Amino acid sequence: MVEAVYLIVQISVIILIAPLVNGIIKKIKALTQKRTGGPLLQMYYDLFKMLKKTAVVSDVSSWIFKVTPFIVFSTAVAAALIVPVTTLIKPRWFPGDLIMLVSIFALGRFFMMLAALDAGSTFGGMGASREAMISSLIEPSIIVSLITVGLIAKSTSVFEIMNFMQEIHNPLIHPVYIMSFCALVIIIIAETSRIPVDDPGTHLELTMVHEAMVLEYSGRNLALMELGAAIKQLVFITLLVNIFIPHDQLINITGFAGIGISLLVYLLKIVVVSIVIAIAEVSTVKLRLFSIPNLAALSFILSFIGFLQYFVFGG
Amino acid sequence: MLLIIHNIGEHNSLFLIAILLYLIAAVTALILIKHHKLCNIASNIICMAAALVGAAASLIKIFTGTTQTNSFILQSTIPQLSMNIRIDTLSAFFVLCLSVLVFSVSIYSIGYISHYYGKRNVGLFNFLYVSFILSMFLLMIAGNSVFFYIAWEAMSIISYFLVIFESEREENLRAGKLYIIMTHLGTAFLLIGFMMMYSYTQSFDIFGSSAAIPAAAKNLMFVFFLIGFGTKAGVMPLHIWLPQAHPAAPSNVSALMSGIMIKTAIYGMIRFMFCYLQIQDVWWGVVILCVGIVSTVLGVAYALMEHNIKKILAFSSVENIGIILIGLGVSFIAFAQNNEFLGGLALVAALLHTFNHTLFKGGLFLSAGSIQYATHTKELDKLGGLIKKMPITALMVLCFSLAISAVVPFNGFVSEWLVYQSLFLNIGYGGGGLNILSILSIAALGLAGALAAACFVKLFGISFLGLPRSDNAQKAKEVPATMNIGMGMLAGLCLASGLFPGFFIDIADKVVRSLTGLSITANLQGGFLNATAPLVVSGNSIAPLEILIVILALIAGALLIIRLIGGKYIERKYGTWDCGFEALNSRMQYTATGFSKPLRIVFSILYRPGRKVEIEEGISSYFPTSIKYKVWTEPIFEKYFYNPVLNMVSKISLKIINTVQTGSIHAYLIYIFIAVLTLMLYNRLA
Repeated sequence: MVEAVYLIVQISVIILIAPLVNGIIKKIKALTQKRTGGPLLQMYYDLFKMLKKTAVVSDVSSWIFKVTPFIVFSTAVAAALIVPVTTLIKPRWFPGDLIMLVSIFALGRFFMMLAALDAGSTFGGMGASREAMISSLIEPSIIVSLITVGLIAKSTSVFEIMNFMQEIHNPLIHPVYIMSFCALVIIIIAETSRIPVDDPGTHLELTMVHEAMVLEYSGRNLALMELGAAIKQLVFITLLVNIFIPHDQLINITGFAGIGISLLVYLLKIVVVSIVIAIAEVSTVKLRLFSIPNLAALSFILSFIGFLQYFVFGG
Repeated sequence: MLLIIHNIGEHNSLFLIAILLYLIAAVTALILIKHHKLCNIASNIICMAAALVGAAASLIKIFTGTTQTNSFILQSTIPQLSMNIRIDTLSAFFVLCLSVLVFSVSIYSIGYISHYYGKRNVGLFNFLYVSFILSMFLLMIAGNSVFFYIAWEAMSIISYFLVIFESEREENLRAGKLYIIMTHLGTAFLLIGFMMMYSYTQSFDIFGSSAAIPAAAKNLMFVFFLIGFGTKAGVMPLHIWLPQAHPAAPSNVSALMSGIMIKTAIYGMIRFMFCYLQIQDVWWGVVILCVGIVSTVLGVAYALMEHNIKKILAFSSVENIGIILIGLGVSFIAFAQNNEFLGGLALVAALLHTFNHTLFKGGLFLSAGSIQYATHTKELDKLGGLIKKMPITALMVLCFSLAISAVVPFNGFVSEWLVYQSLFLNIGYGGGGLNILSILSIAALGLAGALAAACFVKLFGISFLGLPRSDNAQKAKEVPATMNIGMGMLAGLCLASGLFPGFFIDIADKVVRSLTGLSITANLQGGFLNATAPLVVSGNSIAPLEILIVILALIAGALLIIRLIGGKYIERKYGTWDCGFEALNSRMQYTATGFSKPLRIVFSILYRPGRKVEIEEGISSYFPTSIKYKVWTEPIFEKYFYNPVLNMVSKISLKIINTVQTGSIHAYLIYIFIAVLTLMLYNRLA
């Protein structure tokens, strides 16, 4: 019963909210540039429309190209099952922990890079090659920062970590967490293809990474790829806000009412983070590709200092 | 020489039957040396039978015998030279790895060797192939170090012959030479270790007690064994032979070499350091852990820069040996600190990764063989588009690539997860230095995992996807069915052990239980098997099977919803987007070299890349007739360690030759006289 509720809440909340985050970011960006911008729900309309369109598929490509959108989408949703949106629903088991989370994303990324190479286009190769570089550089700091938080909670299970954080009412004033938090922010920027690592808004070969990989896609295949990317972004944001800005300890109501309030607070946090991301994005410029290692190094150093502080300050 | 067979303890003569079958296979290969096809099929089928018997024997041993060892002694009249066979669960575990791999490689060989028919001596090849397997088999069940040493030497020499089997190519001979020199360098250290063993305990018995050996000598022996076995395992910086020798051998042999031969070194480490010497200091584990970290990161980093398929795989073997050593190192550290649960967990992780690596690396080398069989090249930049020509092979290569990149739901993930967990638990047990070392290992594993994924995206993507980059790739055809069956078995096992890790962890656990008397799975409370109860140790659980079901259900759901919203799927075939210019051709695609360029620049401090562009100008500098672009990376170990040492050695030897070997007969007579005099004096005094 609890498991069924958990599954339904997780999947529906994540899939339904994911496009909204992109909508908010785009709207805020437009407003700061004195434009009106598209409606908040534009991505929903886009997805809906793309599903009805004929897909153009390169005649060079193989089955990998067609399977990939489904794998990217389903791995993103499967990852969402590991990162609970609210800790008030406690299923008896989770399909994995944070190492599994990284591995599931790796599966999606593996296929995305293959699909990029599949059509034999130069753009695809370029995107895949750059993605390979960025993901490799960012991987150590993901693992180290999450493991550090896991060490304090004495578990690598994401739910257990979030649960543990409820007891520390404001983790962000603690030196260990602030470092891991900053590291994770950089990771999220890199993993979700945002400025300054990648620019989701352009189609210029000098700057493209993620867009270069999905360049060949159209119709429903593109819809799934876009939705998958949006879900991945939301899963990372959820990971960030629910670990470092826990809110469930404030809710004393049990049952469905409590869950409902918790979800509303969660939604509020997501909206705030989206606005912050948008503001950060308009106020910075995209880095040169070969400056990204510096950013990744910064992220790794932050997470490593966070780890060292764990021994100085304790959990 | 008198031979008596003693049979002590519990009867399990299946192992002897397996040995007998391997012998029959070897003899069959020699008898049928004239009939290439018959010889190949017969010896491989007998080999498969032997592998089946071996696998059955070891499974029976693991599931029934706990601490008892089976032993057979082939006594000779020369003291210390008895062929002493003793089998415990550790031997049985490695025999199991060997047998699984040999079975599938032998099926594969039936098809693969067919391109040798009428061209090469198939009988000789099969004889060497079977003897190679037999030598590894004997090594794993040897009961005293003399016998172990003989089997070890046989394995090295026979594999040398196999490496240079295609001896008409200069590079193969060079690889073989490097291999035999390096492997003997390692063996020399082992030999010193064995001699020390005898001088302190008056016995070569591996299963004997090492209590008589003083602590300092034990430390020294540890270092010798580490260098000796490390050379065979190919750890950095002793790896230089591995990326040369493994690609040179025929692919079925490379599969065995990378799949199981380098694991004999892991067996040796566990057998001699863990079981015989018993861990006495924390620094043993720390050294192994450090070696493991270096091998993991540098191995995969170098793999990424290669564009010869088999070299990529060889370097990736160095990486995976590194991961095994990380597990082993944590286990040594934990046992030295009397933290038995963690030690057992890490040992299970190391053993499981050994087994898993046997499966997928064996499979990958077989895949490389299939590609070579179909296209006659190992160069990634001459391949492309093979997924349409060889769909079945492509699917299996994809499975192996996913498995080695530690991606769910394949087996590589499970063992790496266990290594992660043991490192996670290791933080906090030791002092500050150990904690930092553990987190660095975790970071190294993360980096290596992502780099491995990049590396295998490159391997699969460049060779199987896109447009064919050469005529050979254009004309490729699917390989014979036997080759695909052999690989399919391994691919199936990769998936099975990824989805149902419980069974395989249980096997590794039984081995650890018989070695240490401690069961890990009993403490895990079914965290792997049914995922309903989390791991007791830290509340972590993974459920690969559930994840796969979830992913499949989501795909089905997505298909259904899309169908409901979007209606019937309509697809239009069209050319790849070419920016509105002419049609794309295969030379406009990214190459393997181009794919890894960003990482080559980022890690330029490690690779020290160089490039040379030669432009031949035509009528004007705007219309060059040809452009040559060459890019290379510097092998730092060779350049800054091996070459200076070699130069120094040859310089010194040259000097000695000039002063000692003067060419004058008088000097030589004096040498003989002095030698005889010294011997006589020594005899007199001793």
